[in-house]
Amino acid sequence: MIKVLAAAVLFAIAAAQAQDKPAAAPPPSWKQGMTKEQTESTLHPFAIEVTGKAAKDLPVDKLKVPPGFKVEVWAEGLPGARSLALGDKGTVFVGTRQLKEVYAVVDRGGKREVKTLLKGLESPNGVVFNKGTLYIAEHHRITRYDGIESRLDNPPEAKIVVDGLDPDNQPGHFWKFLAMGPDGKLYFNIGAPGNIVMPNYMQASIMRVDPKTGVIETVALGVRNSVGFDFNPKTRELWFTNHGRDWLGDDLPNDTLHRVSHKGANFGYPFCHQGDTPDPEYGKYHSCKEFDRPALKLGPHVAPIGMRFYNGKMFPAEYQNNIFIALRGSWNRTVKRGYNVMRVVLDDGGKVVKYEPFLTGFLVDEKADPPMWGRPNDVLVMRDGSMLVSDDQNGIIYRISYVK
Amino acid sequence: MSARALVAAAALAMASAVSAADPKAGESKAAVCFACHGAGGNSTNPVVPSIAGQPAQFISTSLYTFREGNRKDPQMSPIAANLSNTEMNDLAAYFSTLKPVASTHRASADNAQAGPGLAEKFKCTQCHGRRMLGQQHIPRLAGQQFEYLRAQLRGFKAGTRIDLDAKMSESAQGLSDKDIEILVDYVAGLGVQ
Repeated sequence: MIKVLAAAVLFAIAAAQAQDKPAAAPPPSWKQGMTKEQTESTLHPFAIEVTGKAAKDLPVDKLKVPPGFKVEVWAEGLPGARSLALGDKGTVFVGTRQLKEVYAVVDRGGKREVKTLLKGLESPNGVVFNKGTLYIAEHHRITRYDGIESRLDNPPEAKIVVDGLDPDNQPGHFWKFLAMGPDGKLYFNIGAPGNIVMPNYMQASIMRVDPKTGVIETVALGVRNSVGFDFNPKTRELWFTNHGRDWLGDDLPNDTLHRVSHKGANFGYPFCHQGDTPDPEYGKYHSCKEFDRPALKLGPHVAPIGMRFYNGKMFPAEYQNNIFIALRGSWNRTVKRGYNVMRVVLDDGGKVVKYEPFLTGFLVDEKADPPMWGRPNDVLVMRDGSMLVSDDQNGIIYRISYVK
Repeated sequence: MSARALVAAAALAMASAVSAADPKAGESKAAVCFACHGAGGNSTNPVVPSIAGQPAQFISTSLYTFREGNRKDPQMSPIAANLSNTEMNDLAAYFSTLKPVASTHRASADNAQAGPGLAEKFKCTQCHGRRMLGQQHIPRLAGQQFEYLRAQLRGFKAGTRIDLDAKMSESAQGLSDKDIEILVDYVAGLGVQ
């Protein structure tokens, strides 16, 4: 009883103090959109190992792939390794988000040499290689490095493709993925400025820029946070992954896979999630019927990042034109799931007919904190048909091959 | 061409295998740390933190932020400037295995009583844990040096102490000077287990 009284008195004192003090701190951006009941939640995003972690310190033998496949450590010592791009001469370029580096990995007959290619960049998450040029998307700009592969130890100066993409330098989903379209244009995302907020007219979008002219166009709107896309080699259509909002509970909304099948596509954020779920706050302003629906629901809060169509020559025939998606989450659910590379099978019309795990074993204990020891971030199909998977938690790249 | 994008001389490393984090290797480099952080990593200097038994990821992340210039300190910055990632991981592995000893600090009765409520109100416990023992990249605050803790909170509030994800800077904005005194007094007096 005394305890209860003391607590009540304390509460009264705190309340009285609160009135003649400046307002309490705004929540960190990842907490934005919590309900009142959720403010005591201990769920939190996980921080990467900024100095990297050695494969020898990790249970990499726990990684599993389907029968006939093999997974191994391909390169390590790349803290924060995220987006992957392949050069004409076989160099693998690796972008980072929390760090400021871009790496280059050169295969020297079974041994990989890791070079820190560029330093001091602003969240250089997006990397793509095309016709001898490496393009890099930072928070605020897209640049090009011509002839990079013959100058890995002495890279050329960056040339600007487009600048001024992040004028406010505020928190938000403003790190960028970068892909080269079949139209010769660079596709990139500008995410939402918070968890669930009304975006301004350039935000929550996928855009493209013509590297020759610098002209920008909008490709899709209502996209909260996409950090992975690729083009269907059969139809040349853009497909992308998207992160749904947080704090709608363990099972809502799903993160999603999307197909851009027409001009002016809008996928609903912040009004409608996963194509069918009105937002509790913004849902009253637009109906879900107005928006394009996802091609596939990927699971709640699983944080899909990189995705690639597989058209290599190593995996069995049924893997042709499958989509592989790296799931980097979840954190925003009490029972964790995800942390796999997933396989999506499409039929001839581009409809999803199967969605199943391909690389598993990172998730160890769905109720532990942390629940996992590694996080898949991007996938890349190599010339021999094998597949690389980056893990930014540890700064490791794995290789998956088919051995029968 | 922005100075931010200046190209660095390519750092070369044979990366076919990175050696495991080695507490023994960390120990062999730790003498310079003991000079300020105290024998066994338990500080007796009010402005220097104890690092014994801190989460390994917190130690490596701290060293990284000193090396990269996110966090600045006249003593720590030059020491971290020359450390490789492997050396940081070795030091983190070593210090995380050492036994923490609480500071001799005793909170005033009033602050010991008011502290838990404030720690809840300002969400300190959400990341640092109910007993302020830390986890992953988040430090143990329990039993930490009083002056050090106060300087950090004041720095976060003033925007002079930067953390990688700005969570602390945001969280400290609403703290009054009096809140800081109460919180720090309370936390410094907590047991380390």
